Amino acid sequence: MEEYHDYLELLELSQDSTPADICRRYRYLKNLYSGDSIEIRALNNDFSEEIRADFLLRLDDAFKKLNELSEKSRDGATRPRTDQDDELRLWLTQIDCFTGSILRSIRERMKVELKTVFAATRIQTHFLEDIEGEVFESFPAEVYLRSYLIEYARFLSLDTQRVLNDYLPRYRGRAAK
Amino acid sequence: MEDTSKHTEIWAVGGGKGGTGKSFITSSMGTCLALKGQKTLLLDADLGGANLHNFFGLITPKLSLTDFFEKRAMLQDLIVHTGIANLELITGSTGSLDSESINYAQKQKLFRHIRSLEADKILIDLGGGTHINTLDTFLLADKMIVVTAPEITAIENMYQFVKSVYYRKLKSIFKSYDLNTVVQDIWKNRTAHNIRNLKDLIGYLKQGSDRIHDIFNLEMSGFVVHIILNEVRSPKDILIGENLKRACVNFLGLQVVYSGYASYDEAVHKSINNKEAFMLFNRLSPVIKEIRQLTENIETETCFSAPEDILDGRIP
Ligand SMILES: Nc1ncnc2c1ncn2[C@@H]1O[C@H](COP(=O)(O)OP(=O)(O)OP(=O)(O)O)[C@@H](O)[C@H]1O
Ligand SMILES: [Mg+2]
Repeated sequence: MEEYHDYLELLELSQDSTPADICRRYRYLKNLYSGDSIEIRALNNDFSEEIRADFLLRLDDAFKKLNELSEKSRDGATRPRTDQDDELRLWLTQIDCFTGSILRSIRERMKVELKTVFAATRIQTHFLEDIEGEVFESFPAEVYLRSYLIEYARFLSLDTQRVLNDYLPRYRGRAAK
Repeated sequence: MEDTSKHTEIWAVGGGKGGTGKSFITSSMGTCLALKGQKTLLLDADLGGANLHNFFGLITPKLSLTDFFEKRAMLQDLIVHTGIANLELITGSTGSLDSESINYAQKQKLFRHIRSLEADKILIDLGGGTHINTLDTFLLADKMIVVTAPEITAIENMYQFVKSVYYRKLKSIFKSYDLNTVVQDIWKNRTAHNIRNLKDLIGYLKQGSDRIHDIFNLEMSGFVVHIILNEVRSPKDILIGENLKRACVNFLGLQVVYSGYASYDEAVHKSINNKEAFMLFNRLSPVIKEIRQLTENIETETCFSAPEDILDGRIP
């Protein structure tokens, strides 16, 4: 479990952290480092766009891997496969942050491909990818992003309002720059 | 050899920007320690504009560090009482001396004499700036403390200050191992080594030859800076200290702890103008409790932990 430990360390969490802790910390750090607060701006050259992008990438990766690892350890347990739907539902109730990479994790756990989402929502797959990757430049106006998010959240059976409340502030924060 | 029976602990308070509350915090922490029964000495090393005495309503002391540097007065003879049991003060030079002209020998003498003073704790108020004398005095301390405020200029200066201190220490450590120019040379050729900043430099040194690696681990691992955030005006500000710590660790590569914060309170400057020691009055001010807490955190090497709901962004 060497790497599990490394990922937790990047999130500054201890070994006994719950999935909810991981989720909460990830959201906090993601907001901090994608944002524009004075404590971040004051770093100037020590936090160039290059360093920022690199760090956010590692953060997303750590979060994704942690989710995968905890999924794996659950799969390896004695639970019968038929519980999977219940398990997914339970997992969804624990999620209280909806960043792009969390949306991606949810979709992947549901084993849905982007083109399936496109078929149901008519949202172009490259837009879906950019929502998941938080490539905000692809959405020059908030209204488009907003309507896509609503559709996508509905497709994933998520509470649309909570998704919007969590996702849009980051978009606005970056757009303000 | 050093006398091991005596455990005088030196705390130094710096932070770059002027007016962030270094003197207020130093005098208040000192009062806190003294009230707990520890024999505490405050040393005002702000050689340009010593004003620590004002925080106790004292008139400018007759003798100051100027007399130590220029007239060979003994450090002991400069001590004045603050009016609070267990708490004494040595004042910095007030005006007469060009603070930057203190030479190496004078500095060494001062450091030697500080170490020989009788006290449980010596708190040094450094004043602002990143002059070499300020950095060296800071590095002398057992506990290094920076005071900053929730304002971008104060934070920028704080980052600059801790980086300068760290770099100064790195250079002097390598010098003491007869590796005089290793650090400077690497830094000069930083583009060739793909070093963008202090953090990269630290990473580079850690991966260097065994000797360099060992020196680094031995000498630098104890380098910890304590952050205090002063003039906090909202629950959200409290979090800034937490974020500063993260930023220092992740992007400057430095070990830092967030020791605590003190709120903004009008009562602070009222006390100064009324010539009263803030910590003795103002029982209702939250700042009293906050200073007690942060002093204890520094004493016991405990981190301040921000409440979960603030971390979660549930408090605006
Ligand atoms: N927590 C506080 N609440 C309200 N006012 C404060 C607080 N802390 C400091 N002040 C005010 O800010 C002024 C500057 O504080 P102080 O002299 O301690 O700063 P300093 O960092 O020592 O400045 P310098 O670098 O010039 O030595 C004080 O006169 C005091 O009135
Ligand atoms: Mg001062």
